[in-house]
Amino acid sequence: MTLISNKKKNGYAVLELLFYIASFAIFSLIVINAMITMSRSFRETAIQAEFVQSGTIMERISREIRQANDINSIGINDLVLNTGVNETMEFKFAGSDIQLWDTGSNIGNLNSPSIAVTNLVFTSITTAKSKVVKIVLSIKSNNDKLNRTVDFYDTIVLRGSY
Amino acid sequence: MVVEILVAVSIITISILVSMAVAQKSVYVSRQAFHTTQAAFLLEEGAEDARIARDNAWSNVATLNSSEQIGIFTRTVIASSVNRDNTTKDISSTGTNDPGTKLITITVSWLEGGVTISKALQFYIMDIFS
Repeated sequence: MTLISNKKKNGYAVLELLFYIASFAIFSLIVINAMITMSRSFRETAIQAEFVQSGTIMERISREIRQANDINSIGINDLVLNTGVNETMEFKFAGSDIQLWDTGSNIGNLNSPSIAVTNLVFTSITTAKSKVVKIVLSIKSNNDKLNRTVDFYDTIVLRGSY
Repeated sequence: MVVEILVAVSIITISILVSMAVAQKSVYVSRQAFHTTQAAFLLEEGAEDARIARDNAWSNVATLNSSEQIGIFTRTVIASSVNRDNTTKDISSTGTNDPGTKLITITVSWLEGGVTISKALQFYIMDIFS
């Protein structure tokens, strides 16, 4: 009798063990799931931040167009603006980058290395009094496994064209 | 013994669940921030559209009343008439209608996690070419 009661005191009942193992399994499942969700969320937040940052590409293009005097030449992927006496500003869609050319010299890319530009389209509109450029910009993030493309749209009247 | 383990496990689980909820909320907020950036350009485009209408012919501005779908965004443009005070000639809610001034209201709205978010831009445009 004494032997049996001692055994009972020192060991675990099968039911007790089952409970521990089950709760440990559920707990580890929740933890692993949470870790996966958090790392995904972190990646998604980083990608969204890159998208927001790419808004500055559109901001730069729209500001240059607004300040420009005239359109020197406009192609679907290439826009040359007259920004002053013998001064030009050119936006060129090359490969997956947007190059900025200031009076004939390449200043650099407007997009960050982690952002790939998938499309850039310039369309000119001429009104009775002014000139207008419509811009459509599509980008994607190189870190995005889903390969989502996001679009920016803007239309700007050249203030110097009045 | 069992009670202590239960309490400890539930505290840890709840704290992990809460941090998971925070991470998911951060995704929601950063998506919303990006959509707001896109909406800002759409608002700007709407404002420039009103200017284009004015540059072509002033009569186009009065009839501006449109709604269009651009991806997830809905943009509406409405031109409304403007009154001017009879003595001061300032823009006012009463007075005489000024046919040479219009109030343009541009609204961009979109669905964000089941909630409609709306951004508006209002400005006056004047007939300076005729």
